Amino acid sequence: MEQANPLRPDGESKGGVLAHLERLENQMSRSRKQSEEPQSVQAQERVLGTKIQKLRHLRDDLKAAVRHRRGSVKACIANVEPNQIVEVNEQEALEEKLENVKAVLQAYHFTGLSGKLTSRGVCVCINTAFEGNLLDSYFVDLVIQKPLRIHHHSVPVFIPLEEIAAKYLQTNIQHFLFSLCEYLNAYSGRKYQADRLQSDFAALLTGPLQRNPLCNLLSFTYKLDPGGQSFPFCARLLYKDLTATLPTDVTVTCQGGEALSSSWEEQRASHETLFCTKPLHQVFASFARREKLDMSLVS
Amino acid sequence: MDETVAEFIKRTILKIPLNELTTILKAWDFLSENQLQTVNFRQRKESVVQHLIHLCEEKRASLNDAALLDIIYTQFHQHQKVWDVFQMSKGPGEDVDLFDMKQFKNSFKKILQRALKNVTVSFRETEENAVWIRIAWGTQYTKPNQYKPTYVVYYSQTPYAFKSSSTLRRNTPLLGQALTVASKHHQIVKMDLRSRYLDSLKAIVFKQYNQTFETHNSATPLQERSLGLDINMDSRITHENIVEKERVQRITQETFGDYPQPQLEFAQYKLETKFKSDLNGSILAEREEPLRCLIKFSSPHLLEALKSLAPAALFSRIQKLLCYSASHSQGTQDLSSYVPLYTRC
Repeated sequence: MEQANPLRPDGESKGGVLAHLERLENQMSRSRKQSEEPQSVQAQERVLGTKIQKLRHLRDDLKAAVRHRRGSVKACIANVEPNQIVEVNEQEALEEKLENVKAVLQAYHFTGLSGKLTSRGVCVCINTAFEGNLLDSYFVDLVIQKPLRIHHHSVPVFIPLEEIAAKYLQTNIQHFLFSLCEYLNAYSGRKYQADRLQSDFAALLTGPLQRNPLCNLLSFTYKLDPGGQSFPFCARLLYKDLTATLPTDVTVTCQGGEALSSSWEEQRASHETLFCTKPLHQVFASFARREKLDMSLVS
Repeated sequence: MDETVAEFIKRTILKIPLNELTTILKAWDFLSENQLQTVNFRQRKESVVQHLIHLCEEKRASLNDAALLDIIYTQFHQHQKVWDVFQMSKGPGEDVDLFDMKQFKNSFKKILQRALKNVTVSFRETEENAVWIRIAWGTQYTKPNQYKPTYVVYYSQTPYAFKSSSTLRRNTPLLGQALTVASKHHQIVKMDLRSRYLDSLKAIVFKQYNQTFETHNSATPLQERSLGLDINMDSRITHENIVEKERVQRITQETFGDYPQPQLEFAQYKLETKFKSDLNGSILAEREEPLRCLIKFSSPHLLEALKSLAPAALFSRIQKLLCYSASHSQGTQDLSSYVPLYTRC
C-alpha cells in the first residue's frame, strides 16, 4: 500500500522494495510467460500444423481413392456395354464360320470321295453317282495301324472289296480308294439303269427283268409296240467289265423264231448297237419316244 | 393229288401255329384269295387243315407246291434249325462272275439228279439276292424222304452258303459239289461257324454287324456316354475309380460298338502257348513243346455276355486271353477273322 509519503525515496524503498520485488517478480513471470507462450504456442502450432498436414494428406488420399473408384466403376459400366456387343458379334461371326465349314464338309460328298477322321483312323465315304444323279453311299472305316486294315464297311458282299484291298491297300491307298470308287460307281450305275428300266418302262417289257446282285447280267424280253402284233425281242446284256456301266456283250434275238424279214433283222442289229453304246433306260426312252411319234403319225 | 403229297401238305400245315397260318398261306400264294376266304380259321385246327387239304386237292397241288410250302415254313422258323456256313473259292484269274439264276438252278438240279436218281430239289428266291434250296434225299431205290430235307441258302455272287445241319451226313459232299459247280467255283470249305440265327451268321460273315459310320452329316459324333451317373446327383459325391470305369466303358464301346451283337452261341479256339513262370525250375515253363489246348466259350448270346463282362472288370483278362488265342490259334479257320472285334490287342 502506497502511502503518500513526503519522503519519497524511502517510501519507495521499503514499501517499495517489496512492491518492487513484487513488480520484478511479476515482470519475470510475465516475461517468462511471454517467452513461454510463444514456445508452447509455437509447439502447439507446430503440432497442429503437422496434424493439419496429416489430415490434408489423408484427405487427398481419400479423395484420390474415391476418384479412382468412381473412375473405375464408370469405366466398368462404360466397358460392359461395348464388350457385350463385341462378344455377341464375335459369337455370330464364329457361328457363321462354323456353319460355312460344316456346309463345305457336307458338300464334299458331291466330290464322290470324302472322309472324316475318327479316333482310330479315317471313315471314308464313297458317294456314287450316275448321269448327274446322286445314288447310294458306301462307307469304309479304316484303322491306321502298321498293317492298314479295314475295321468295318457297308460295301455289298458281291463287290470284290477283299481282292482290291489285297492288291492295293497296303501299298497304295490312293489306288485302293479310286479302284473301289470305280467298282462302286459302276455298280450303282448299272443298278440305276436296271431299276429305271423296271420302273419307267415296264409297259414295253413283256416279262420280268432277270438280274443278278451285281447287275452284270440282264435278260429281258420287250416289244416296241406293246399292244401290237410285232414279235417280242429277247435281249441278254453281259457286263464283263465290272468297272463299266455299258455292257460288253449284247445279244438280241427275236422270239418269233421264224425267219426274220430284212427290216426286222435291221432293227435287231440296230438294237444290239444301241444297247452297247447307250445306257439301258435311255435306249428304252428312245423306243418310247419313237412309239409316241409313230402313234402320232398314224393318227 | 398223290396221297403222299396230301399227307406231306397236311403235316406241314399242322406244324404251322394258327396265328401264322394266314400269313404263310398268303406267302405261298397257291390258294387264291377267294379260296382262302371260304376257310373259317376260327375252327379247331384239324377242321381248318381238312378244309385246306380239300382246297389243295381241288387245285391239284404238286410235290413242288408242297415243297415250296415247306420252304416258306422253314423261312418263318429259321431258328428251329442249326445252320452251318460254307465258303467257296475260285481259282486264280477266274472270269468275272456272270451269275445267271436260271443256269444255276438247272445246273444244280442236274448234278444232283444225275448222281441220285431220287431227289426233290426246290428253289425259292428272296429279295436279298439269296436263293433258298430245299433238297429231299432218296437213294437209287427209295423215294425221297420229304420229312428230312436239307436246306441251303445261297447268296449269289458271294462265296457263302448256309446249310441246315442234318443227320444225313453222307450227302454233304455231293451237295457241296453241286453247289460249287453250279455257282462256278472251284472249292468249298466248311467254316467253323454254326448258329441257329441266320441273321447273325450273315452279319458275321458279310461283316455287316455295324452299319453306323461317322460322317460330317451326322449331328453329333459318337457321344461319350455317361457312366449312368445322374447329373442330378450331388457333385460332392464321386464314384470310386471313375477314371478306370470310364476307360473300361470306352474300350467296351470301341470293341463292341453300339449296335446289337450278332447272336453267337459258342466260340472255340485252339490255343498254343508257352508257359511263363516266375519260379525257376517250374516244370511247365521248362517244356520245349508249347502247350496246346482247346478253349470253348458257350452262352445263349455269347457276344452280349462278353460285352457285359466289362463293367464286371473281368474284361481285360478275357480280352487278353482272346487276343492272345486269336493270334496264336491254329487250324483251318480262325474265328477271330470273322469276329474282328477280337483282333484288337
